[in-house]
Amino acid sequence: MSPTGSATTVMGGPGDDQAAILADRLGRRYGDVTAVESFSLAIRPGEFFALLGPNGAGKTTTLHMLTTMVRPTAGTASVFGLDVVRQAHAVRRLLGMVFQDPALDDRLTAKENLEIHAVLYGIGRSERAHVIERALEWAALTEARDRRVRSFSGGMKRRLELARALTHSPRVLFLDEPTIGLDPQGRRNLWEHIAALREGGMTVLMTTHNLPEAEACDRVGIMDAGRLVAVGTPRELVARYGGAGAGGAEVAMPGPGRLDQNAPGQAPRDSEPADLEDVFIALTGKQLRDEQATARDRLVSFAKRGGEHTR
Amino acid sequence: MRAGNQGVLGPFGAKAVGVRSLAGIAPAVVLVMWRREMKRYLRDRSQIFGGFSRTVLWLVILGYGLGASLREIEGYTYGQYILPGVIVLNVLFAALQCAIALVWDREVGLLREVVVSPAPMFSVTLGKLLGGATISLIQGSIPLLFAPLIGVRLSVGGLLGAWGVIFCLGVFMTAVGVIIATRLKTFEGFGSISNGVIQPLYFLSGSIFPLRGVIGGVGFLDIPDQLRDELRRIGVFAIGGGWVVQLPEWLKVLVYANPVSYQLDLLRHALLRFHQLPMTADVLVTVLAPVLAAVVAAALMRRMTAQR
Repeated sequence: MSPTGSATTVMGGPGDDQAAILADRLGRRYGDVTAVESFSLAIRPGEFFALLGPNGAGKTTTLHMLTTMVRPTAGTASVFGLDVVRQAHAVRRLLGMVFQDPALDDRLTAKENLEIHAVLYGIGRSERAHVIERALEWAALTEARDRRVRSFSGGMKRRLELARALTHSPRVLFLDEPTIGLDPQGRRNLWEHIAALREGGMTVLMTTHNLPEAEACDRVGIMDAGRLVAVGTPRELVARYGGAGAGGAEVAMPGPGRLDQNAPGQAPRDSEPADLEDVFIALTGKQLRDEQATARDRLVSFAKRGGEHTR
Repeated sequence: MRAGNQGVLGPFGAKAVGVRSLAGIAPAVVLVMWRREMKRYLRDRSQIFGGFSRTVLWLVILGYGLGASLREIEGYTYGQYILPGVIVLNVLFAALQCAIALVWDREVGLLREVVVSPAPMFSVTLGKLLGGATISLIQGSIPLLFAPLIGVRLSVGGLLGAWGVIFCLGVFMTAVGVIIATRLKTFEGFGSISNGVIQPLYFLSGSIFPLRGVIGGVGFLDIPDQLRDELRRIGVFAIGGGWVVQLPEWLKVLVYANPVSYQLDLLRHALLRFHQLPMTADVLVTVLAPVLAAVVAAALMRRMTAQR
């Protein structure tokens, strides 16, 4: 396949009439708590899509359902026509995943981490060395390939993970908060790598609570309290909800007048032009940040202090 | 920018042929996970150092220190008597440390990457268990290096038998560790595992005290009080004095319920030709316990990583 036209147009090729990702009233409950509710969305092949929302909005749960890690309690979802529950195994071969926190073995070198990945995805022995060299080159880590990941900066780790997620030629890439925790330079560098994929026609679904990143995507879905409250191109969303008049945004969850209740609540910002943040506040009545420490967060912070290596 | 050059789907040109498996086991996956464990172990010098320091502390210092009082047990010096116990202690540490790293791996490490991959989880677990057992074999062999120093002569048969038992114990304890790890939500340090699991299993296995016997030899049933007083006057304290050693009933129950007791007993038989428990029970527990624990560990790993 080769990229045809701009990334927003549907790509040519066998997957032409088929959605890359299709979710139909997808939902997940944990006991009495609803993490995701009635999530419906279609993503075209080659599309660059961002899920925007605060922590706890259900972005990661949605991503985990689409990547076969979490079983939906309602609705269905498919990746290139393959059901994420019934055909989970086949779906796994089609997707590449970059987690919110590094999922690397930091006592191993960059190359060794890639080798494990290659074996797990059944990349033939004869191809392995070549593919790994190209992945290292792509991530600009050729010189660091025999260094242990433990000594890598956050940006290097993320580039390695991004390259790793691509080694088995996935058709969809899932990125969970790819640039979180990186310094501005690392962020910019990683974003360039992500942008290169986009030019190549890769289908990307990422979660973020970084507005400029969301604004750079083809389409944005805004999540709040487990629901997808609006979907559209950044421009459409700003036009529709940013206070600058009506636009053509498709609303994912029509019906219960929820959007309209909130929408009039915000006054148009007088001088400055409206942006996605205004849209977000208009739709959710919230700012984009929200922190709470879970048991896992404590473990992560323990890890950052040296963790396993401090006994 | 360099990144832009390979702009096609699958930028590195890889063709995934799929994981080959035989009877539900993918040898390549088992091997790569085993090698991962070995690399992690060989790069962690503190673990190797720990194996040596533990051996020296127990075998040499305790062996000679406590051995000055407990001069012999059934013809063996105290150091010789505890040699199999020190091996077991090294195995407990090695296997559990390897297994408990899973908690870590699941939350901030490689396991999540393994979970979204199409690799079969049973093979991943098998690689882990074999890795833990191999590390156990190496760590458990450290005390054997000290065997000549304390006067234990190793025969080839005895050594092979000992390695067999150590390997089984390694699989068993790694599996037990995996079972514990799948149950733990969070984990901040190894101390709780050491105090809560390793030490009870170790101390309740007959590793450092005989299960029953007579101290001091028949004939010296007790030291008369007058003699004690005289000895005390010249600075010698009377220790023991000759009585039948019989563990309290509750302690005996715990020792007999501990599978490690039987594995240790078989190990002692291999190294010293001395054992205290029925040989059939020793062999059965040594062979069956790892199989059983591995089955449970694999099932729990599967459940932990399954779509939930």
